[in-house]
Amino acid sequence: MSDPGASAALTVEALKGLGMTHALIIPDSESRLLFDRLTSDDDVTVISPTREGESIAIAAGLWTGGARPYVVIQNTGLMEAGDALRGCGLGPRIPLRLVVGWRGYVGAQQGRAPIDSAFTYTEPLLAAWGIPSWHLLSDDDLGALAEMDRTAAATSSPAAVVTGYAFRP
Amino acid sequence: MIERLDLFRSLAARRTDEVVVMTMSATLQWPQVSDHPLDFDFLAFGMGHASDFGLGLALARPERRTIVWKGDGGLLMSLGSLVTLGRYGPENLVVLLLENRTYEMTGGQPLPPGADFAALARAAGVEGGGATGRGTVARLESLEAFEAALGALLTEPGPHFVVLPVATRHPLPPVQHTDHAGRVRALRRALGVE
Repeated sequence: MSDPGASAALTVEALKGLGMTHALIIPDSESRLLFDRLTSDDDVTVISPTREGESIAIAAGLWTGGARPYVVIQNTGLMEAGDALRGCGLGPRIPLRLVVGWRGYVGAQQGRAPIDSAFTYTEPLLAAWGIPSWHLLSDDDLGALAEMDRTAAATSSPAAVVTGYAFRP
Repeated sequence: MIERLDLFRSLAARRTDEVVVMTMSATLQWPQVSDHPLDFDFLAFGMGHASDFGLGLALARPERRTIVWKGDGGLLMSLGSLVTLGRYGPENLVVLLLENRTYEMTGGQPLPPGADFAALARAAGVEGGGATGRGTVARLESLEAFEAALGALLTEPGPHFVVLPVATRHPLPPVQHTDHAGRVRALRRALGVE
């Protein structure tokens, strides 16, 4: 079992291997090192909008224009972006690729009370939207990115990986 | 105030291969003056996000211009998008803000009266900003002023953000929600990416 948290460097390489052209990312505590890695990579265009609904809509426009965007989004932002995800992903069947930060996961695993409601509602919310998801908890799970990518393409609908720990370098 | 349908006729007469994204009441009137494969009806795609979608489209297709008709009520739902436009807006993006000071689609309820949308765009860094550092902001109060500016909007590097005070005396046709997935695939086919 690898150390908790996926490597930001390996994650970026995996996403580039899948054809990533743009990354939509608003920094959060868990994805901080992924943000640093993405912004230092000349092969990827990084866009940091002001709110996650913008990320979703910009990604939808990029995909419609033929690009291959990935949206890195904390679970709290995903909840805020619900209408954009409905309108720019689920309804029009745009295969948005989501890397969802699971705020509250570590505390919940350690049994720390109170449990963060952002943790509690993340997977039920994805399930309610019918968005298939895979865990990315360590480098052992990096294959989940390709699985998510294949599923988004095959279903022409959003798919997600959910990252439980902060990214490592 | 500019008659909105006249404004639409003016752009439709000059438009060639630009993508035109529209939302809310513009989706009801623009088809009265245009039937083009690069027209894109954003209605029901996400409240307030038409220009965000347009920004993504413009970044993905730098070889052609993307023009977005957006309402002031929609802008209030995503004011932060002005900051994003000021930071990342590409040279081929034109956002035309239809300022009617109401939520027209829901019965004409008034918007907060004091907002100055051109000033907000300037404060957000659009003027002299965008990815090019050459973004522009304007408020055009007549059809003649719009037609005089249109040549530059269609050729000069942007991003461009234009506020257009509008009204309409024409009754709006009923909303017809068509196949959302079909709209996206049709645009992708027109762009040659599907």
